[in-house]
Amino acid sequence: MDETKRLLGQQEEMDDGEDRKNTQRGKYMTFKSGPEYFGLEIQYVQQIIQYQSITKIPETEDYIKGLINLRGKIVPVVDVRLRFKQGEYEHNDKTCILVINVKDSTVGLIVEQIAEVVEIKEENILPPPTIGRGDKGHNKYVYGIGKVGNSVKLLLDPEKLLYDEDTSDTEQIKRVEEE
Amino acid sequence: MKILLAEDDFATRKFMANFLSKYGECDITVDGMEAVDAFMMALEDKEPYDLICLDIMMPVMDGYQALMGIRNLEKERGVPEEKAVKVIMTTALNEEKNVKMAFELGCTIYSGKPIDQERFEQALKKLNLI
Amino acid sequence: MAGDFNTESMLDMYLFENTQLLEQLQETVLEQKDADSFDEDSINEIFRTMHTIKGSSGIMMFDNITAVSHKLEDVFFYLRESHPDNVPHVELVEHVLEVEDFISNEMEKIRNGDPADGDASDIIADLDKFLNMIKNGGADGGAGAPENVHEEPKHFYIAPVASAASRFYKIFIHFFPETEMANVHAYKTVYALKEIAEDILYSPEELLTDEKCGETIIKEGFRVLLQAQCTEEEVRDLIGVGYDIEKVDVFECDANQFLLGFDFGDNEPAPQIDLESSVEVIEAKQEAAQAQEAPKPAEKKPETPKITPGDFVIQSKEPGRQKKLAKDKPKGEKAAFISVNVSKMDQLMDLIGELVISESVVLQSSDLKVPGLNLDNFNKAAAQLASISRDLQNVIMSMRMVPLTNTFQKMNRIVFDVSRKLGKDIEFVMVGDSTEVDKNIIEHISDPLMHLVRNAVDHGIETNEEREASGKAEKGKVTLSAKTEAGKVWISVEDNGTGLNRDKILAKARKQGILDDSKPDSAYTDKEVYQLITLPGFSTNEQVTEYSGRGVGMDVVVQNIQAIGGALEIDSTPGFGSIMSLKIPLTLAIIDGIVMEVGTSSFVMETGVIKQFIRVKQDMMIHEPNGDEFVMIRGECYPVIRLGKWYGLEEYQESVEDGVMLILEVEDRKICLLVDNLVGEQEIVVKPIPSYVKKVRGLSGCTQLGDGSIALILDAPGLVE
Repeated sequence: MDETKRLLGQQEEMDDGEDRKNTQRGKYMTFKSGPEYFGLEIQYVQQIIQYQSITKIPETEDYIKGLINLRGKIVPVVDVRLRFKQGEYEHNDKTCILVINVKDSTVGLIVEQIAEVVEIKEENILPPPTIGRGDKGHNKYVYGIGKVGNSVKLLLDPEKLLYDEDTSDTEQIKRVEEE
Repeated sequence: MKILLAEDDFATRKFMANFLSKYGECDITVDGMEAVDAFMMALEDKEPYDLICLDIMMPVMDGYQALMGIRNLEKERGVPEEKAVKVIMTTALNEEKNVKMAFELGCTIYSGKPIDQERFEQALKKLNLI
Repeated sequence: MAGDFNTESMLDMYLFENTQLLEQLQETVLEQKDADSFDEDSINEIFRTMHTIKGSSGIMMFDNITAVSHKLEDVFFYLRESHPDNVPHVELVEHVLEVEDFISNEMEKIRNGDPADGDASDIIADLDKFLNMIKNGGADGGAGAPENVHEEPKHFYIAPVASAASRFYKIFIHFFPETEMANVHAYKTVYALKEIAEDILYSPEELLTDEKCGETIIKEGFRVLLQAQCTEEEVRDLIGVGYDIEKVDVFECDANQFLLGFDFGDNEPAPQIDLESSVEVIEAKQEAAQAQEAPKPAEKKPETPKITPGDFVIQSKEPGRQKKLAKDKPKGEKAAFISVNVSKMDQLMDLIGELVISESVVLQSSDLKVPGLNLDNFNKAAAQLASISRDLQNVIMSMRMVPLTNTFQKMNRIVFDVSRKLGKDIEFVMVGDSTEVDKNIIEHISDPLMHLVRNAVDHGIETNEEREASGKAEKGKVTLSAKTEAGKVWISVEDNGTGLNRDKILAKARKQGILDDSKPDSAYTDKEVYQLITLPGFSTNEQVTEYSGRGVGMDVVVQNIQAIGGALEIDSTPGFGSIMSLKIPLTLAIIDGIVMEVGTSSFVMETGVIKQFIRVKQDMMIHEPNGDEFVMIRGECYPVIRLGKWYGLEEYQESVEDGVMLILEVEDRKICLLVDNLVGEQEIVVKPIPSYVKKVRGLSGCTQLGDGSIALILDAPGLVE
């Protein structure tokens, strides 16, 4: 919980907006999901908030948990573990919501456990694992592997994370039939 | 071609002098008053300038006042329109009212800064200066 | 920089004025396209327009625009002076539009900072041929006609080089506290930066002459504003790492911030806000002020310059200082209009929404529910509050409303172009183009409408021969109409062509495997069949034409419309035509809604749709073998939807007797909705469900309730279907 508090304190820095973007390259917000650590470029991160009650929306993908009220703005929330097909889990007091801004959309990511902000230089980023290394549900969102000390962080492409379809258009067309 | 440059900023002055010397001999002044004086001197020596390049914001006398001074001197001496010196005003000011006033006072070319060198040459060609 | 109308730069004025002239020109031409020839006034207008454009383009040295307008001016000069007969009118119209397109295109390039490099030589050659043709066809063979005289431009304006390459940086340098003579270090830094600086300002300024400067620099840091074409890396490299520099922060900013200098405050006097007068009075004042300004923007004369020679004399300039004028220019009077950033308008709208919610919270406060309280005065005050809040909403909404006229006019041009190219004779009718919609909406419906109009012209309306053959007497017609009703905007594209072919659509759908094999064709209603054409990849056209029918169109159209919360309805009568109707909600809708609960979720539905709510008994229910349910209420039978079951919610009431049945009516269809209980009626602010979430059937938005929780807004038509 202290970790979260500390990072919540870092919010002030992040709220500085556009000016900071250029000086933020190479810095990643990392978090744990399942057995792995993931990283997301800081420029996409708007803020980190405590887990709060989520209003469900019926008939949406399982990983879209619903909506939250963020200071007057209604923001959709995605469960990262479900998106990564890692299975449901109990929310505890470490769970928090990472609010990110991608392509003018604001979306919250429910994250199992927030880690820290790290700096990863380009030379320490390796290409992602090739497909075939098992059926890891998160692989297609990962664009690289960043080495930090002895550990690795799987670096996520926020656009893919949010927008890649994992079912085909048949889903949509089935709906037409039902009507 | 004889060229007169009036520019108060040192760095810009260096740049402009360098740029203009491609087209001819360039004399340098640092404010509006000096520019008018130089112009008059050249007229009296019967070696008038072909082209004058004026900054607008300058100490002592601004570009507009200098332009007025130059045109008045020409009128006084009965210099015919075809022989009147061509004046280019350069400035970071781009508002329409600035341009209109410049044209009304007798400016020939109004160029915003940073100067578009290609178009500058194009304009000089249209005026048959080069 | 181009695009920022506030500064009225030369380039902006050029683009603005000429764009206006061209739009006006297009309207005039299209009005007269079906006439035999242009009338006197039009010829004069076109001549003058071309003359003006030629002149201003000459000054700006846009040679291609100058040349092409020069040529067209010549043509119209001849028409004006010689009044020749037998001028091929339609060809002339096409030429004018061609010229107008070329110039518009070039201006668009200029607006975007790209070079205006279009080649007009073909157009000019065509115009030349045309002119010669009409001259030779004239009674005097063109001889003896006065020649058009052109004045060579005497002035030229050179726009500053596109500063796209120039970047602006704010630099903060902090020196170590022990650094001696920090001002000298600062000077060295500035000197280094001057290598690449297009412009540079710094604070404090008196680096070499004021010793106290050093203290200021240590305490507050050294600030530099830099305009250069280099990257941040290069800036940092130039500043270097020295034993003296503790930290360097570099932020990229934009030109405006650069020009503001170190004074980040806004120096302009705030526009006066009139708190005393009521909304009507304020609006009346605005209208009066508007009436005093020149009526048509096209006729507005540029203001006489309020500047005089001598205004620009400066105090001796030292590098690093912004040039200060010796004469202090007084600020002009604030105009009756201010232009406002759209994002501020959005903020205002959000705040109004918040206000409505807050109002609810106050009015529904449990503190007020104490029995025996006399709330007369409170209620009076509350009513006043509600009334003011409503006025505020109305004024703000009206600020964002823009008439559809321009959008519709664009369609006019498209109908003309496409119908010409396809050899079809088509009339275009506009109805209700003065209908106003929110600015946001206009941006989103322009493309969909274009697509629908193209479809109507290309596929909907038959060729002239086909029409004759099928006995259709009247000309092909495309009607574009708009109206607002019940908080929604209805825009429709109607054609009197062939209509949609139900069988063909079903066949294609079957072929693509979209349909359920077990369901026969006859089981699909017409409406359902027509909706099939909005599926991705669907197109019954064998040939893809240039204008439509690539099969990527209709689904994108529907997506765009749904993105603003709207819907597309398709209706058609084979042999007679089709109507594509867009139904779009006004963006910020504040509606009266009934809040209800089902399980752990809260929903809201528009009050107007709910006819009645009652408790029903088990014996009033009818169960069909296929699972459908109905209820008998006072002799009438209604289909039932159990909301909890329908949406797969949790913990909702199973028994009809424990819940509440709502009777909903939508366009003459009635259904019943079973929910757990009703919470109350209140005003709610309609907010769209974030676009990230794909559209859910039956939901049209969401809202925040008084307690901060989120409720989903039910869309009755969606449920009814």
